[in-house]
Amino acid sequence: MNRTMNLEQRTALTGIGFVTPTVIVIALILIYPIIQSVVLSFGQSSIDGSEPYRFVGLRHYATLMGDGRFWNALAVTFTFTALSIPLELALGIGLALLMNESFRGKGLARLAVLFPWALPTALNALIWRWMYNSDYGLFNAVALQSGLADRPINFLGDTSLAMASMVVVAVWKTSSFMALIILAGLQSIPRDLFEAGRMDGMTKWQEFTQITLPLLKGPILVALIIRSMDALRTFELPFNLTDGGPVNATESLSLYAYKAIFDFLDFNFGAAVVVVQFLVIFAMSLIYVFALRNKD
Amino acid sequence: MQKRPRYGLYAIVALSVLISFFPIVWLILTSFKNTAGIYAWPPQYWPDPFTFENYVSIFTNSPELLRYILNSFIVGVGATAVTLLLGGMAAYALSRLGLRFAGVLMVAILAVSMFPPVSLLPSLFQNFLNFGLLNTYTGLVLAHAGLFLPFTVWMLASYFATLPVEIEEAARMDGMGFLRIFLTIVLPLSWPGFVATGLIVFIFSWNEFPLALVLMTQNAMRTAPVGISLYPGEYAFPWETISTATVLAIIPVLVITAIFQKQIVGGLTAGAGK
Amino acid sequence: MASVTLNQIGKSYGAVVAVKQFDLEIADGEFLVLLGPSGCGKSTTLRMIAGLESITHGDLLIGGKRVNDTDPKDRGVAMVFQNYALYPHKSVFDNMAMALKLQKTPRAEIAERVNAVADMLGLTPYLERKPAALSGGQRQRVAIGRAIVRTPDVFLFDEPLSNLDAKLRVKMRMELQELHDRLGVTSVYVTHDQVEAMTLADRIVILNGGTVAQIGTPREVYDHPATEFVAGFIGSPAMNFMPAARAGDHWRIEGSDLVLPDAIGLNATDPALTLGVRPEHLEVFAPENAPSGPWVFDARVKLAELLGADALLNLSVMGQPMLARVGGTDFPLAGGRVRVRIDPERLHAFHPETGLAVTSRSPSSGQ
Repeated sequence: MNRTMNLEQRTALTGIGFVTPTVIVIALILIYPIIQSVVLSFGQSSIDGSEPYRFVGLRHYATLMGDGRFWNALAVTFTFTALSIPLELALGIGLALLMNESFRGKGLARLAVLFPWALPTALNALIWRWMYNSDYGLFNAVALQSGLADRPINFLGDTSLAMASMVVVAVWKTSSFMALIILAGLQSIPRDLFEAGRMDGMTKWQEFTQITLPLLKGPILVALIIRSMDALRTFELPFNLTDGGPVNATESLSLYAYKAIFDFLDFNFGAAVVVVQFLVIFAMSLIYVFALRNKD
Repeated sequence: MQKRPRYGLYAIVALSVLISFFPIVWLILTSFKNTAGIYAWPPQYWPDPFTFENYVSIFTNSPELLRYILNSFIVGVGATAVTLLLGGMAAYALSRLGLRFAGVLMVAILAVSMFPPVSLLPSLFQNFLNFGLLNTYTGLVLAHAGLFLPFTVWMLASYFATLPVEIEEAARMDGMGFLRIFLTIVLPLSWPGFVATGLIVFIFSWNEFPLALVLMTQNAMRTAPVGISLYPGEYAFPWETISTATVLAIIPVLVITAIFQKQIVGGLTAGAGK
Repeated sequence: MASVTLNQIGKSYGAVVAVKQFDLEIADGEFLVLLGPSGCGKSTTLRMIAGLESITHGDLLIGGKRVNDTDPKDRGVAMVFQNYALYPHKSVFDNMAMALKLQKTPRAEIAERVNAVADMLGLTPYLERKPAALSGGQRQRVAIGRAIVRTPDVFLFDEPLSNLDAKLRVKMRMELQELHDRLGVTSVYVTHDQVEAMTLADRIVILNGGTVAQIGTPREVYDHPATEFVAGFIGSPAMNFMPAARAGDHWRIEGSDLVLPDAIGLNATDPALTLGVRPEHLEVFAPENAPSGPWVFDARVKLAELLGADALLNLSVMGQPMLARVGGTDFPLAGGRVRVRIDPERLHAFHPETGLAVTSRSPSSGQ
């Protein structure tokens, strides 16, 4: 090491050495591709480089703005997020309160609740697709046999039902994640606060609204952020559950972008879709990052 | 409070467990039905006959499904190893070596972790194609490392924050350099943090879909979630094979979750608490 | 072994100054204690000597060589940490041997040196154990042993006893004293505990807010505190302070009816002073037994606390609250009337704005 540097500089140099590999990988895999997509979106080129890059300005963006399917995908993405997150939050708080009680077999119960989180979303979508099946599915069997329905319900094929069906799958899989984070928050609330509350004559409901909820604000915010970023990026769930159908009723922004690239095989237009998607989601993520920083 | 039987509580617990579990149970039951049983009306709630023929058939007729699982293992282990090593060093530097820009970098890392993976696809596909990384383990390991490094850095940095810094200072007084301190002091002392992070990254990698879908285009190189999703092709959907392969593909993550429940829960919630 | 010289040493973090312009010459073999409240800069100073903190300005010399930018391992210093900082995954032997191993000392020599030190500290039966299987006192001994094994030129101690319980602390304090007598290695010792400082130190440096308040022997800092801060910090219970205003050739204590004669050669030009007297330098008499004189005053006992050998009396001396320390038998009870004699030889005076001592008696304290 260079002896003319002082102690602090040498430490800093080591630190930079330690950070650099990670920064390089993140730059190559996460940052450079976004930049390259911006470049691609303003031009015309071929994937393998056989056709030289030609600048075409905002042409792809103009096409995009006039594309009803893009606006539909945007609406689907926000609808999906707006429907699934509140449900997950409500169920997550409920589950967390439940898991905060002491009862026999709690460890097993917590494990059962955690399993859906560990499943690959893609395979989870397949499992539910099978259960939703209008001819052989479990749900229709139960509905028809119990007399709740008199003819098969087309959960995934009906434009008015497909979104709800997809939301159910997402909520089923991720409420447990919400619950875990909220439970950790619950367990960090000092017990004597509740004892003080009881001395003050609080009812269980008042304990919940006066003590529990205000002190859970931080964990709830974190859980909301993580989950809504996931929901805004949702891809493999519609890919495997409905393939975006019926009539694009469940085609999320990510799925639309994927199809623009790999189904329509228009790389440059696809890049424009991807850039817009990125901007939408990154704007949301910035809002979240700042919300997090100002949390405490 | 007096102990009294809390039937209401147990009823709610039982209901939650049932709801969490029944799709997996239904999947497993389906995998033990024969073809006629799968497409029977009314559906069989219990396999009749109860048969292992789907499992036998996968091993004899559809070895590619096993190959998918092997691929997932290779990519998962590779991505976990790379991520832990690089992310561990970065987290150590950012939390311990007094870098002036550490705070900014941590926030930047958090911000890029929110990038939508699909946004990366056009560029990654083109570059991987040009550099011969499509359909290679190296390529997908690298991609997954990039995807999960931000999480790893945050997790491990928050873990290192709980370790007493004095031990590392004593090591400096004893004459160790930072790399040796990292390898011989920090790594052994923070293995619970590395285990928790590693397990979660492995599960993330195992479950990752969009990049695995696009960067592994050859059937033989596909990971389990992608291979199984694409297995049916356009029209027929062989549920007997799909359900059985799905059972095999989720067993590893379920087993890991069951064994390391505590570490995983601790890791997820610690990472989220930051 | 070596001397340590701090030449205008300072440390700042951005705009925040942690240590200001520190000048100090530590003699070879000296036991120097850095004493002060938390945040006074004592630990930062020690860590600068250790090489764990960079030095913002000034020169640090160990054995006459400038070591500002030398790695900690090459400075010839060894450090004992507050929380022991033992490697929890290594045995006691390996903990003590680590530095030697890193220096590529031959195995036989390592074993010999570690065993000798372990023997000296009574650690031989525990050499194969992990730190978790040791008591607090044993861990502290390992931490000290680890430093000794290296035969450093300078020992650095960062509040090494503060995690021990009271009894053990006294025992380890004595062991440290014996050890220093035996090895004679230059030692720099950081503490906020004045008893440790008084008992261990050849000289004490009292720091406050990043600056040196006084450097002196334990006797000097107790008898002749250079500032009001030092006077209040050294001594337990703390010195009684009284705001005094000149009234002719007397001093009127503000907020009370107490008037003191000017008999101690105080600086005649000051219109106001802060006077101080230690609780142990007040004599308390029953009214009928009291001597008479200009330094004897009426007082009332507001509260009496028996400590055991001693008792503390909360007094109101003609309206001025004062704490007195008296023998633990036959002391007056609360509400009682007494007479109090202030020892004029033991009266301290400080400038009310600067806090500097203004007695003319002790030029020896230097700073």
